[in-house]
Amino acid sequence: MSKRDSLSDIVIVDLDVHVNDTPTELAPYMDMPWRKSLEHVSNVPWRYLSIPGYSPNFAENLPLWPGGNDRLTVETPAQMKKELSDMNIDIGILFPDHLLGVAVLPQKDYASALTRAYNAYIVDKWCDKEQGLKGLIMVAPQDPEGGAKEIEKYANEEGIVGIYLPCSGLDTLWGHVKYDPIFAAAEAAGLPVLLHAATTLVPHFPFNLHQYETFFAQHSLVHSFSMMANMLKMIETGVPVRFPKLKICFTEAGVSWVPFIMMRLDKEYVENRRDIPFLEHPPSHYIKKFYYATQPIEEPENAKHLIQLMEMYEGENTTMFASDWPHHDFDHPRKVFNMPFSPEVKRKIMGENALRFFDIDATGRRNKFKVGSTAK
Amino acid sequence: MEKVAREYVVGTVEEFPVGSHKVVKVDNREIGVFNVNGEFYALPNLCPHQVGPLCQGKVSGTLVANKDTDWKRTWDREGEIVYCPWHRLEFDIKTGDCLAFPDIKIRSYNVKVEEGQIKVW
Repeated sequence: MSKRDSLSDIVIVDLDVHVNDTPTELAPYMDMPWRKSLEHVSNVPWRYLSIPGYSPNFAENLPLWPGGNDRLTVETPAQMKKELSDMNIDIGILFPDHLLGVAVLPQKDYASALTRAYNAYIVDKWCDKEQGLKGLIMVAPQDPEGGAKEIEKYANEEGIVGIYLPCSGLDTLWGHVKYDPIFAAAEAAGLPVLLHAATTLVPHFPFNLHQYETFFAQHSLVHSFSMMANMLKMIETGVPVRFPKLKICFTEAGVSWVPFIMMRLDKEYVENRRDIPFLEHPPSHYIKKFYYATQPIEEPENAKHLIQLMEMYEGENTTMFASDWPHHDFDHPRKVFNMPFSPEVKRKIMGENALRFFDIDATGRRNKFKVGSTAK
Repeated sequence: MEKVAREYVVGTVEEFPVGSHKVVKVDNREIGVFNVNGEFYALPNLCPHQVGPLCQGKVSGTLVANKDTDWKRTWDREGEIVYCPWHRLEFDIKTGDCLAFPDIKIRSYNVKVEEGQIKVW
């Protein structure tokens, strides 16, 4: 098949795949006394992205689908490598699964310990265990100073290529100055940050989700609203001006919200620039420099409309393919690859932009560690 | 850009004390004349955003925040900024630069004072 051939001809980087970070897996890496908690929770029945005391998402108010819910998980690097290779994906960026919900945990010490355990686990069990599996350090929004220390600790870890900022159920939005230590540490380490949400029903933004009575409705807005809310907070506090070298990516919200928020903020800026005097340009200037992951890519009836949406935010150099494997709403690379982009833009979106974003080569190797590199 | 063809007397110095400004009519144009600390400036009474009456707006300062201020908002440039009464887009009276959009600059008219009279062209 010629289409399959062309898919395998190019470098494909997948910005978002999920490992099955169960309490049992993380327990050995967990500080006491919380290791005990994880050992106990291993015996508690749990549902998709909903483990009591570990990954509570507060969204368990819907009936179980009468047909039964199938759920795919990836348990080992070898399994991940095979499944990604079957889709012609060369490099996969690993995110947690259950710990997507870490921001809702009220105890700072516990949440922080969980992220430390995850970081040790992902480096020890996953990163570079197969070629092209690269990890992200995760930080707990409950503990900005602790997060900054984790970034410093792993800054020179070959298998780590970025920082994951949990957004699901987040109360104080990313961009608040209390998170400055995390942004400063990420910028200093030369590691990009990636925002990622998940469905949860919490009494803060976007709290009205509790009104919806189907997963269809809850899931439709939560990711995009979360990305918009966090982006706006970052613009409001001048993150892209105060941390000019920090690369920021918004994931799992598709891309069609970007032109909307860009135009909305530029309109507001005309009148209220004085509120945010540190911006040297309209918000769109910074929004066009942020990065975006494609999944769940919009599938308009007229595919050219997607191209036009991306042109609005000049996204050919800042949009990056993501599958979200193995989640229920994943995109096969062919879906994005077959959009009517030019061959050049296709190569950028499917892989080249991500190589530049993470500063890695086509095998996943961090450029800063290469022999002869002038970087530290 | 087209300019007012010749010099027009728009008032006397006494009519424009320091810190004041007003809109005068020259032929069919409306021009805002400003006295900023004894120096005179003139701008079209036309905001490029939605053609609001820019120079009928308030003269003010503005908030400034950057690395030099440790990102704290500080009050600066008192008396040098006019903002449109319609949507509050701010302009530097001395240069016509739009504070929000670095690419936007409105024209300035020439002003001079001769024998107590303010002339614009």
